[in-house]
Amino acid sequence: MTQQLALSIVGSGGDGAVAAGDILAMACARDGLHVIKTEAYGPQIRGGESSCTVRISAKPIFAQADAIDALIVFNWADFARFRSEIVLSPTAVIVHEADDPTPDEIASSPSRRVIPVAFAALARDAGAPNGKNILALGLLASIFGLPADAIRAAIEKRFAKKSAAVLEGNRNAFDRGFALGEELGLPVAKFLYTATTSKLLMSGNEASAVGAVDAGCRFFAGYPITPSSEILHFMAEWLPKLGGSCLQTEDELAAIGGVVGGSFSGVKSMTSTSGPGLSLMAEMIGLASMAEVPAVIVNVQRGGPSTGLPTKSEQSDLLHAVFASHGDTPRVVLAPVDVEDSFHITVDAFNIAEEYQLPVIVLSDQSIAQRRETVSRESLIHDVVSRRVASPEALEDFQRYQLTEDGVSPMSMPGMAGGMFQTNGLEHDERGRPSSMYIVHERMNEKRYRKLDAIARHYRLYRRFGAEKPEIGILCWGSSTGPVREAIDVLTAEGLAVAAFVPRILMPLPAENIQQFVNSCAELLVVELSFSAQFHQLLRTQIDLPRAKTHVYARSGGKALGVTEIIDQVRRCTAGTEKAEEVLA
Amino acid sequence: MTTCESVYTPNTYKSDVKPVWCPGCGDFGVLNSLYRALADLKCEPHDTVVVSGIGCSSRLPGYVETYGFNALHGRALPIASGVKLASPALNVIAVGGDGDGIAIGGNHFLHTARRNTDIVYIMMDNEIYGLTKGQAAPTTPLGDKTKSTAYGNPESPVDPCGLAISFGATWVARSFSGDVKGTTDLIKKAIQHRGFAFLNIMSPCVTWRGDDQFKILRAKVRPISADHDVKSREAAMRYTNEQDIVTTGVLYAIERPTLVDEMLEVRWKAQGDRQPPTRTDLLKAFTPSF
Repeated sequence: MTQQLALSIVGSGGDGAVAAGDILAMACARDGLHVIKTEAYGPQIRGGESSCTVRISAKPIFAQADAIDALIVFNWADFARFRSEIVLSPTAVIVHEADDPTPDEIASSPSRRVIPVAFAALARDAGAPNGKNILALGLLASIFGLPADAIRAAIEKRFAKKSAAVLEGNRNAFDRGFALGEELGLPVAKFLYTATTSKLLMSGNEASAVGAVDAGCRFFAGYPITPSSEILHFMAEWLPKLGGSCLQTEDELAAIGGVVGGSFSGVKSMTSTSGPGLSLMAEMIGLASMAEVPAVIVNVQRGGPSTGLPTKSEQSDLLHAVFASHGDTPRVVLAPVDVEDSFHITVDAFNIAEEYQLPVIVLSDQSIAQRRETVSRESLIHDVVSRRVASPEALEDFQRYQLTEDGVSPMSMPGMAGGMFQTNGLEHDERGRPSSMYIVHERMNEKRYRKLDAIARHYRLYRRFGAEKPEIGILCWGSSTGPVREAIDVLTAEGLAVAAFVPRILMPLPAENIQQFVNSCAELLVVELSFSAQFHQLLRTQIDLPRAKTHVYARSGGKALGVTEIIDQVRRCTAGTEKAEEVLA
Repeated sequence: MTTCESVYTPNTYKSDVKPVWCPGCGDFGVLNSLYRALADLKCEPHDTVVVSGIGCSSRLPGYVETYGFNALHGRALPIASGVKLASPALNVIAVGGDGDGIAIGGNHFLHTARRNTDIVYIMMDNEIYGLTKGQAAPTTPLGDKTKSTAYGNPESPVDPCGLAISFGATWVARSFSGDVKGTTDLIKKAIQHRGFAFLNIMSPCVTWRGDDQFKILRAKVRPISADHDVKSREAAMRYTNEQDIVTTGVLYAIERPTLVDEMLEVRWKAQGDRQPPTRTDLLKAFTPSF
């Protein structure tokens, strides 16, 4: 018996590898299981090879699987393209199209079971010429004891709008595959689970978009860019239904410009982009900060610099997000740790932007943004803060940029009588009038930075996992959190006192809390997907990280961080074989 | 502080900020024309937003007692578009110079015109970069010596009105800032137009183009003929890229659905007269409902 499984399906366009993964993932979500589903494609826009991996678990999971338990291959040539990404467990069950001879490297592994199945011919016989993916689902369901009823129901739903013959053919294909699995009678560990309340299945981009809508965003301006475009798509579909508007702009300069304009006019506004777009938005981040206009930017990181690795994850936009734009530019940077958190962090981004009148960047990344993950419906609730609008008293002698204790000034919006002011990218006085006097600049800088102090006090967004008194403490952020959390579970079970501290706000850092954590750990390990260790660099600006006990594991993105990889790094640190303060990668 | 007065005079729209412009600057004429146009049309100050980029002329929002936004170089139009689309009830006027709108912001000019975004765009055209002290602009005549073209401008200029028409603007006019009455009249027409209204105002820079610019321009200005067909694109294009004359008046004026019209249409297609979507609707695509 096993409580978790990882299954991969690889094929060419038209084989339905990704569709099969969708059906399986949705079926498991219906039965309340935990699912993480990832997809990978060749560079072709249409057709070409595709692979889909579904990790299923009866217990909560936080990362992609390190190794695959079962692999369906419709075409070995397609598999070869993903060879470096799909790591097979030593006991993996491999089922491939019988017509396609198995490469020696796979066939020669003694412990793996390699089974030829005539997918295409059997599907045709079942009356579903395009149904070999469905036949494969039947096979997997019987071999591993997956939730067959739920998968059947998902297939019914998927083909409900097709002809009766197509629906019937696919039903037959599933049953034929299921029967074949029983005939094979493989001695594998069956999947053990109890069905519970059904869950939602969504991507991080979708969770961010839902969070934005919940937060009250009614204007979105964006420019298409991988891997963030799903947010644009969601907003284009839903904002008009909600009485809002979505504008696809001519470039990212216009996107962030539209957001600043929309927000200035009194409507909560957002854009989404990826690294190259964030580079273009840098100047306008400074304007939003200077003019004190709330603005939310979701930046979905991909490999960089330049065009980089558009479809792969990396955590290398951190320092750009934290420091982008010339001048002294207060802004806030938040980072979700998983799909569900993308919802919460996006609502928080609006709350902070609206309450403190500044730009807030949400730093997601491709791995969180594009994987589909189960989320409890009840968890998608988050308090929403409204804009602090100037009171009638404040409007009597209105000073839009009034110096206040927490730096937040009364705000009016066009349409409000008595609230008229001119906002400005030029330094300005309390009424918004341009000024280049030193003393005005100094007072205004102080005022704008006081907002960061207030945010640091009120938004200590972080997570802490693991032992109270850790021998080794891990510092990480964003998508690194999932594999780190699973690694901690494994190491804790082995008796090691290990913990992790994960800031979900990177600017301003919850420095006091991080310092306490650092002081409580005998050894430290910083983990991140950035070749130049940007997170480590950022920590060192504000945290005393003793060199003697600080280890850094920082490598390029392009490949997901593995649980085993982190366990290995922790062991290297605790074994004392590594000199501290050395990049381990 | 201005409140909802029932009487609207040009002074209603005058802010207490003193312009930084050089004495004799053409932009004073534009500013005075704008005050008059807003007063004549009784534009509610607090429902009006004036947005600009960067440059001498982009200082203008500070001098107008409405809501104002002096933004980034070249980015007046994206910000103005965001204001209008998010809050369609507002009266939105974008202003700026020729360098701001055609050089650094040229791409936005194209797309804001193409979309027929419901805003007025006033371009104060002085054929030079004034704020940075005298470099060539995309409108500087071929051969002219400027600080950045020591041996004469090697580049051919573009005519902003010709660009606007070819970009798909639905209302295009040219004016001369020395003619406050004519300019006032054209700003009023621009505000009244439904859609993207582009007004190119020849607004001399006496500091970097010479004291005699007013005289030279005044000699070149010709009001457009009374029988000009404003609906004809071909006829309008005849008044672009002129050599020795400057034709003023409405060159082109047609009607087509505006961006706000289209956005309302999109909302109707998306939702019709049905109840707004519930959270269950929003989450439907993520819910295993089988």
